[in-house]
Amino acid sequence: MGMLEGKVACITGGTRGIGRATAEAYLREGAQVVINGRSEEKGQQAIEEIGAGDALHFIPADVKTREGCESIVNGTVDRYGQIDILFANAGGATGHAPVADLEDWALQDSMQWNFWHTFWSMQTALKHMIPQNGGRIICCSSVEGKMGKPGVSIYVAAKHAINGLVKSAAQEVGPLGITVNAVCPGAIETDVMLAEGPPAAEAMGMTYQELLDWFASESAIKRLNEVEDVAELCVLLASEAGGGISGSLISIDGGTAPY
Amino acid sequence: MGKLEGKVACITGGTRSIGRGMAEAFLAEGAKVVVNGRSEEKGAAALAEMTNAGLASGDNAAFFAGDASKQETVEGLIDFTIETYGQLDICCLNSGGVNMTAPVAQMSDEEWNLEIDWNLNHVFWGMRRSLQHMIPREAGRVIVTSSVEGKLGKPGIPGYAATKHAVNGLVKAAAHEVGTLGITVNSILPGLIETDIVRDTGPASAEAMGMESYEALLDAFAQESSIKRLNTVEEVAAVAVYLASDAARNMTGTMFPVDGGTMPY
Repeated sequence: MGMLEGKVACITGGTRGIGRATAEAYLREGAQVVINGRSEEKGQQAIEEIGAGDALHFIPADVKTREGCESIVNGTVDRYGQIDILFANAGGATGHAPVADLEDWALQDSMQWNFWHTFWSMQTALKHMIPQNGGRIICCSSVEGKMGKPGVSIYVAAKHAINGLVKSAAQEVGPLGITVNAVCPGAIETDVMLAEGPPAAEAMGMTYQELLDWFASESAIKRLNEVEDVAELCVLLASEAGGGISGSLISIDGGTAPY
Repeated sequence: MGKLEGKVACITGGTRSIGRGMAEAFLAEGAKVVVNGRSEEKGAAALAEMTNAGLASGDNAAFFAGDASKQETVEGLIDFTIETYGQLDICCLNSGGVNMTAPVAQMSDEEWNLEIDWNLNHVFWGMRRSLQHMIPREAGRVIVTSSVEGKLGKPGIPGYAATKHAVNGLVKAAAHEVGTLGITVNSILPGLIETDIVRDTGPASAEAMGMESYEALLDAFAQESSIKRLNTVEEVAAVAVYLASDAARNMTGTMFPVDGGTMPY
């Protein structure tokens, strides 16, 4: 029997990258899963590629809006009758620059994409989870939620903010059987990384390859992480056995973050 | 197929409580396991109970007697495991605790040295010996049972807090030393669990910590957490299985909390 048999999971993002790997891991463990993305076309492609039948559903929505996040979470309940697991996974940043040159829109966009999306999704999910006295909320933070590299402050600030939100929310709902945790992955070469890595590297004064090498060299394993690393951790946190873990910022970064 | 099929594990202090939970979870996932403890009698009972539970059979579980605060025991356990099962894939350095703890001003040298040997030196001896076996094989998992006190520090348990902080440092350094060799080194930081050792030494610890009673000690730990309850052995065992499995091949140097939301970082 799978570790998530009978559970319903909602994943923001999820057509590619970490969210997609987590969706596949949750399906393997017996859950019904909703994935999300902006593009109907990418959503349908993911549904076809995964081939999980009725156990997988796609909801198109923009996580940078409250309405989008509410529609993903509430749509999960509409589709499968409940929500047991929220993985607030979507995120990224564009418009990287050193703080001295940073434009307001870039920080605002990153906060909406990463932080506000996490808050809106979490708040909507808690409205379902609190009455049912149970649930798992997992937020995708980053090694940059604990550290800080130059040139990417918009991402670093948003991921640090998520970690603070996680700690407070965990205290609020802990006695109700609801856990709230953050996973903090090291650099992974996902689609978002491939798109946003080169401009981020430029803001950091280096090439994209030098950026990847920097992340790898800081770790103990001297290589980047993989989406499956995060997916497996998300299975543990979503499972029954994860009920004693809350308010935690768990590094899955090959030994990079100092705490 | 189990997540640890074909793997061999040893666990310091595995006849009861957290170590026992790890042993049972590892066996359920297909590993062979050697548990350790001071008492031959408790060791035999543990093997019998795990056999009765359908987890252990004659050829997948063994007991190695000895005090985990002694170098010969820790190194002997690792050597015995390799001699018995031909290899060591997972080394759980789990044993630890206090005897008669006291505030720093009243701490005896004897107690201090015991805690250093039991909680810190035992981890170093076990890690060194197991890495000497794992490095040539370019594979392995070292899992250290640290504590919520490895990041915090309650009054009255200075030796425990200091040694649990120390093992976290040891884990981080060792993780970097062997990170490219397919070996991971992590620690698990449980919140308070009402294990046999806590039941035995908790009342004296509560007194050293200036608390009214043992129950007040348990309640203080629970109230500090988000979940407002103590943790369980099974919760720690599940994390140990995860860390020991292929799923966690890229997690190393991590202080994995199982504390219901107690630690601030």
